[in-house]
Parts: sequence; structure tokens; C-alpha cells
Amino acid sequence: MSKSVLVIGGGPAGLAAARALGRLGVPTILIEKDGQLGGNPIKNHYHTLIPRKLKPSQVIGPYIRDVEQNPNVKVLLNTELTACEGEPGSYKVSLSNGEKHEVGAIIVATGFEHFDPRRKGELGYGLYPDVITNLELEKMFSQEGKLYRPSNGQLPKRVAFVFCVGSRDRQLGVTNVHCCRYGCALSGLQGMEIREHYPDVDVFCYYMDVRTYGTWEYPFYWAPQEQYGVRYVRGRIAEITYSPADGRLRVKHEDTIVQRPAEVPMDLVVLVLGMEPSSGTKKVAKILGLAQDPDSQFLIPSEESGSNIVSNKPGIFIAGACKGPIDIESSFSEGEAAAAEAAAFIGAKVAV
Amino acid sequence: MAIHERSLVEPERILRKERLVVDGVDVSGDWNLIILPRVINDYDLDFAKEIINSPDGKTINQCYQCSYCTASCPVHNYWDERYNPRHFIYLARLGLIDELQKRADVMWRCVSCHKCTHRCPKGVLVEEVLKVILRTMAKKGLIDEYPSKKFDKFFTESVLEYGRIEDGELLFGWIEKQGYKVFKDPILKKPIPFLGETPEWLKQLTIKPIKSMNIGFLVLNAKHMLFHPRTKNWSRFKQVLRKVMQEEGALSH
Repeated sequence: MSKSVLVIGGGPAGLAAARALGRLGVPTILIEKDGQLGGNPIKNHYHTLIPRKLKPSQVIGPYIRDVEQNPNVKVLLNTELTACEGEPGSYKVSLSNGEKHEVGAIIVATGFEHFDPRRKGELGYGLYPDVITNLELEKMFSQEGKLYRPSNGQLPKRVAFVFCVGSRDRQLGVTNVHCCRYGCALSGLQGMEIREHYPDVDVFCYYMDVRTYGTWEYPFYWAPQEQYGVRYVRGRIAEITYSPADGRLRVKHEDTIVQRPAEVPMDLVVLVLGMEPSSGTKKVAKILGLAQDPDSQFLIPSEESGSNIVSNKPGIFIAGACKGPIDIESSFSEGEAAAAEAAAFIGAKVAV
Repeated sequence: MAIHERSLVEPERILRKERLVVDGVDVSGDWNLIILPRVINDYDLDFAKEIINSPDGKTINQCYQCSYCTASCPVHNYWDERYNPRHFIYLARLGLIDELQKRADVMWRCVSCHKCTHRCPKGVLVEEVLKVILRTMAKKGLIDEYPSKKFDKFFTESVLEYGRIEDGELLFGWIEKQGYKVFKDPILKKPIPFLGETPEWLKQLTIKPIKSMNIGFLVLNAKHMLFHPRTKNWSRFKQVLRKVMQEEGALSH
């Protein structure tokens, strides 16, 4: 019997790895701690994915279907890794459902979690109903198909996006000093969606700098401004307050271009959440002895290898957002790259 | 009461009262001074929309504040740093009118060299956008009109009156408007050049050309200055021209 590969995590990176391994004819076990495959985009009801503006079902759906239908891939939902022993090439893993397997290689794709904005008390999340997260806005679009103020159900006149909530912030400790990579682009996309469907709603993005890197510059930074009239205001929101007189929120900041303090009325404030390593990532790192960034706790690739999917342990590969913020496209490609490396590592005779 | 860090407080934010009464208590002497906060309380988006929706102003949305325009601008670099095209665009886009008004004295100073427009990496027609901002502000009475327009008006009136440019009256009539006491002939009530107060720069500017002027031309000029000739049959044409200009709104502003 040929050696098999364990894939931990059923999000984009894990699905891509399992699908590639299944297609190569490698026996694969995919474990997922939730009750469904697809990871954060499916679980949190994302509406539209950057950069291709497709629905999660369009992008991740085919991966889920292929994985479920492939006889080489055994999918175990509601299952976590509990222990791992043995040598590279023959890892003996124990799972939370009681099963024990011997696998030749492991692909870790345990992903990230969204930052909990209640840790930034000054932004009033949980206190004022009209302060929502960008996740909730995505859910509003995808599940309810309309934009409204949670406080009264009416259409807001003004929407503010607050960038970098839980990102680039030493106040939260050393764990959140990184950039979330997706926030600027997603805010541009959400701003465009709002302006497209509600042209009378004014959208403001409060930024320190706009990091729509690479080819995202035009579609997610220029287009929102030029074609949809989304306004960018430089200044980080320091405090959100509520005025009972008019029932609107006030975003308190310094406009760093005008160099004046400002408290501007807003009807809906959207917090753009940062990314943190998921609890699963931290747990798996301990069980497998993987190297973690001392600050952010994200997994870090081997120092010797030039590749960023090779971990410090031979035969264990890391892919996707468990290594730090990453977009879904790159998660797929990293999963597929990890699958190729894992197949090579176990010396699989690839089915043609 | 003394104001500490006086340089940080703009004069227009300081309110002084001789007597200040709060809730019936006279607190003059200690608390007769109020410094207004400099917080931005709101954006004037209607003002911004008017600019964005105008044909010349729509490229304002393309600006990403790199300041290539301002770095290229000769007015900013060699005249007054408060003239900052990049900043005007930012302020106009958010409708921060009070900030624009603070710079009203420099805002008309564009020399139309178009360096900003030619160099802008985002294709903003900077020079046009700035003119739209100024026009919109002037239309809403938020800024005084372009100072040179006062001369344009005077010039147009003079041409309409005589059908030609009448140097003496144009020049000295304008000088009279600047507050100089010009000598006028008692019959026509027109200014007679150089007899009244004349600014020094004008004397210097006149003497040099006169020295090198043909005597016949000089006599002709002097005759015109005294007798104000008109173009033949001008009075009828004038009426037509004035009517057309009024219809097209060219005389109203």
C-alpha cells in the first residue's frame, strides 16, 4: 500500500492540496474541524471575492465538489489532529474521532481568524449597533441582499470604512503589527458595490496608506475613486461616538492632510478587520513542533528553503493563511504547490 | 487673558468680549476670551458634487494626492507655498470650504503654465479643475471674483463706448479707480493725462517710449487723448453690440 498524505484544514489551501493529491492518485485524508468544507469564505458568507469579483460558491464550490467526489480523498469533518509521533515519512497521527493513521507527509492549511474588534473598545463595536465589521457587511450583501443601518433598518446616507482595525497596531501587543493585505482592496470593492446599487450613499475610506498592491491597484483603488466616487480621507479613526441628538455616529480622527481634528457624522461605520492565526494553527504548531513567528504566532517557513511552503520539519508542508495574511487565489496555488511537494516527498507513483 | 502658544491660534478663532455673562453671572475679566475649536464638523458634499458633476471638474476624482502637481507648480515654489493645487483638490473634494477660503488671497494666482496638467500621473486636468473650484466658489459668493476681472470690465466698457482702445482714458480712468487724484477737464469730465497725480512707475514707463517716438505719432496721440475720437457710426453699432453681449451674459460678470 502506498503512503498517504494528511491535509489539515478544509479551507481554500487545504481543498486545493487535497484536490491536487487526489488527482495525482495519492491517498489523502482531509480533516476539517468545522462541519463543512470551504473555510472562512463559506463559513462567514463572503459575498464577492477579490480579485475576480466572483462568488465563493463559484470559486470554492468546484474544489469542494472535486474533493468530495474523488475516491482517493477521504474527508473527515468535525475532526481535529490530537497527536503526532514518528519519523518523517511515517508520521503516526491520532485524530479527535479516535482514528489513527500512518501518513508519509502532512500539509498544514489551518488558516486564520478574523480579528475581534471588541478588543478596540474606542471604536464602539458591540456598543453602537451601526458600527459593524466588514464581515457583517459581506453577510448583509450575501444573505439579505440590501444595505441598511442595523439600528433602524433604514438606508444609511453615509458609510465610513475604518481601515486597519486589528492590523499594524502595537497597542494590541506584538501579535498584530502585520498588515492584513486584503482590507484595502475589499473596502474598495465593497465601496464600489454600495455606490453601484445606492448611488446616493456617500462612501468614505479612512486610511493611513492604501495597500492595494500589485495588479490590485487599478481595480480596487483607482476604480472606486474614479468610476464610483468613493472618497478617501487620510487619517486613522481614533474613536467612534454616538450623538443621541441626531442618532448618527461621529468618527473622530485627525485629517492628516488638512492637519485638523475632525468629528464627522456617519450613519454606518464598517470596521476593516485584520487577520490573526486561527486557534487551530496555534494548536497544530504545538503538536507538530512547527516554527512560529515569535510576534504574530503565524507559522514560518524553513530558513534553509527558499520556498515558503516548506516547514522546519521534513515532510510537513505549510500552505495558505496559517503563514500570514494571504488572498484566496494565492492560497489555492500554495495548496497545489504543497501537494506537489508532498507527493514528491513520499515518492508517490503518480497516476497518469 | 494672555493666550499661550499664540502662534498656533489663528486670529479668526479668537473671540474677545468686553463683558461675558454666563448664566447670569458676569465673568468678565477672567473669562472674556473664547478660542473657537478647529475641529472639522462636517463635509459640504453638495459643493463637492457640483465640482465633480461639472464637465471640466470630473477628473478631480482621479487625484490620489501624490503632489506631483504642487512640486511642479511655479506659483507654489517661487511665490507662495500656500498656493497648493494638490491641497485645493483635496479640500474641494470633501467640501472643506472654510479651509479653501483661508487661501482666497492666493487662489487666483495660477499662471496657467499647465505643468501640473501635463505631468499628473493620474490624468487629472489640474489647471481646469482649479478653475472650476474657483468658479464654483465665486458663483456661491464664497470668494471674491478674480481681481483682474475688474480691469477687464473697465476695458470692455471703454471699448464699447468709443469702438476703440482709448489709451489716455483707459489708463488714467483705471488709475483714478486705484485711488489717485486725476485731473479732469471741466467740460467732458474726462481725465487729462499727467496733469493730476501720476504714479511714479507710470511716469517712468511713459517717458522712455516718448523719447523715441515719431513726432507726428506723438501729436496724434496727444490729440486723441484730449478729444476722445470715436469710430465712425459707432453709436448704432454700440447698441447692437451691447444688446448681444447682454443676451449672452458677457456683460453681467
